[in-house]
Amino acid sequence: MRRSNIDFLGNKKWLFAISAVLIVVSIGSLAIRGLVFGIEFQGGTVMTFAAASDVTTDEMRGALEAADVPNAANATIQPTDDGGFIVRTAEGDADVANAAFGAVVTELGLSEQDINVTTIGPGWGKNITEKALYAFAASILAILAYISLRFEYKMSVTAVIALVHDVIITLGIYSLFGREFTPNTMAALLTILGYSLYDTIVVFHRIRENSQRLVKQTFQQMANDSINQVLVRSINTSLTSLIPVICLVAFGGSTLKDFAFALLIGMISGAYSSIGVASPIYALWKEREPKFQALKKKYERHAA
Amino acid sequence: MDPKQRNILALALVVVLVGLSWWQFWPLNTKITQGLDIKGGLSVILTAAPTANETITEDAMTRVSTILTNRVNGLGVSEATVQRQGADSFLVQLPGVKDSDEALKALRSTGRLDFVPAASINTSVTLTYGVQLPEGSYEASATVITGANVTRAATSIDSRTNQPSVTLSMDSAGAKTWADFTSANVGRQVVIVLDGIVQSAPVVNSPILSGDTEISGSFTAEEAKRLAAVLQAGALPVNLTFSESRVVGPTLGQDSLRQGLLAGLVGLALVMVFMAIYYRGLGVISWFSLGFFAMIFLGVLAVLSRVGAFALSLPGIAGMVLTVGLAADSSILMFERFKEEVRMGKTFRSAARSSTKHALLTSVDADVVTLVSALMLYLIAIGPVKGFALTLMIGIVIDLTVAFLFTRPAIIMLAESVVAKKPFIFGMKGADPDA
Repeated sequence: MRRSNIDFLGNKKWLFAISAVLIVVSIGSLAIRGLVFGIEFQGGTVMTFAAASDVTTDEMRGALEAADVPNAANATIQPTDDGGFIVRTAEGDADVANAAFGAVVTELGLSEQDINVTTIGPGWGKNITEKALYAFAASILAILAYISLRFEYKMSVTAVIALVHDVIITLGIYSLFGREFTPNTMAALLTILGYSLYDTIVVFHRIRENSQRLVKQTFQQMANDSINQVLVRSINTSLTSLIPVICLVAFGGSTLKDFAFALLIGMISGAYSSIGVASPIYALWKEREPKFQALKKKYERHAA
Repeated sequence: MDPKQRNILALALVVVLVGLSWWQFWPLNTKITQGLDIKGGLSVILTAAPTANETITEDAMTRVSTILTNRVNGLGVSEATVQRQGADSFLVQLPGVKDSDEALKALRSTGRLDFVPAASINTSVTLTYGVQLPEGSYEASATVITGANVTRAATSIDSRTNQPSVTLSMDSAGAKTWADFTSANVGRQVVIVLDGIVQSAPVVNSPILSGDTEISGSFTAEEAKRLAAVLQAGALPVNLTFSESRVVGPTLGQDSLRQGLLAGLVGLALVMVFMAIYYRGLGVISWFSLGFFAMIFLGVLAVLSRVGAFALSLPGIAGMVLTVGLAADSSILMFERFKEEVRMGKTFRSAARSSTKHALLTSVDADVVTLVSALMLYLIAIGPVKGFALTLMIGIVIDLTVAFLFTRPAIIMLAESVVAKKPFIFGMKGADPDA
């Protein structure tokens, strides 16, 4: 079998450029288009109807109005792939929403067995958001601490830069596609933290191992060799992680798809960032240390 | 114990674990508790808001919890639960509840605790504990005092009869009304009614002028305690609002479960195919790793279900499907490292030992990082996301266990026997076994 020998670090300008473009587009979209927050964050009601294939969108709207669903005119009605509907309204009172939607079910002659009604009261979203931000901050601190202890602080900082990169890009894609951001998306983002680091840790492990017997090459050259040495396993572990996630996107219901889409983006970005972001930044930073400066002077190729 | 024996012992341990798991989780649908979003039912989060004269104290929350539990039990739903969530909220789960409108109303009603003269109750039902009075059995104006007038209620022992009794104190307005009423109604029966359900129906023995009232009778200690709790807690001390309400139709939940299972099984099958194509014989080891992983996972979930610590939710299914990838990752790290060391010229035997050790260390580091973020999610987040974090954490721990007890010993034992003779089965054609 042939060993790969791709000059990732020699082309780090290109890698950084790709990341920079993705980040700028993501932040731009987040600033201009913003995120579409699910009702969990702003309060309201989502009702899911399954097995309603003989009902048209117009009939649904008629039924909402006939059943006195509050603000029926502003309700969004979205048909699903499997002959159902997802209806969203701003009603935040569970009593009112349930009674009204009960009437819709009767009106359309559907079964109570086939519906979901979720109502989130106003103010609750703030609570959820705060908790998620705490969880996010706590995760990052714990990750920084763990990598600093097991490896070194320069690795922990670059690993966290890479994962922030992944989270921004995932959020950016959500914004660009106008996908709804729900608590499940948030859970997926927190999971991305872990997954994004998986590949990074695999590369860092190898860099640390190789740096102990660094001979006749610069730190960057050694880092590049390390990436190449673990490239196949990085690709394969990413593939086996992606396969189940793609299956969730393909076969899962709406809740599962919700998770899976964010994970899909995050994992692809995570696989890329361990090679394209974390490793080059770490190598550049490391090379500033006097010990590696000397090596750089001695062994840097003057090809360019 | 020499290394060979140790490996055989590890493999035996895995077989035992898998057997135990099978015994725990089969048949799946009865052994693993299904969450509300799969089974169908009503799940609400109620959040307390302070009223004009009460702030949300720990004491008030305990009282609310008692009242909610009473009401939930009153709805007659089996397996209903009331759980505290954070500082000011409760999660109430009513699996399989039929009339969600009715349940929502019952949960939020502020609760009426009335003291009504028996004479004013115009129904023929016997006035004893637990009897539901038909609506409109008494006029609101017939109520002498309400739960709002009761300031304190506790159990005590009647000094004359040595029987358990309940004592209560009243605020000044209540005490005055109560004094007037009891003076005029000695020998008559008073009925204490909570949300239309008779709690007690004592007879006035003598005028009570101070408001300090003792209810005695043939109570057991338990009954006295319950009555004191009702009197103390009767009306909700705080206003409850619905922060979240989910009504799940059983058909939809089951559909989601089927879709999740399908995604999981197809994902598992595809990963297995990939492993076999890329790693040949080693890939087959990973089939066993993945299979054992899945079985032990289900076994752990079944045990947790039995003790009431786990219910499978949709996010939980997502967590399980994700760990399939995680489980394959630890095998890949070992296989790649093994092939690499063989290429570098190590013998199969020594490569198997050192490479699996190295790869296991990498797996631990990479997995611990995922574990840390899952743990934070579990500790801090609320609601359905918790289930996701829990399955993810369990998956990570089992993944490492299987990697340590099965995958590593299996590679070592194979390397010492089969690979050395037939390297091509393992995708290492041309490698020199004796190099």
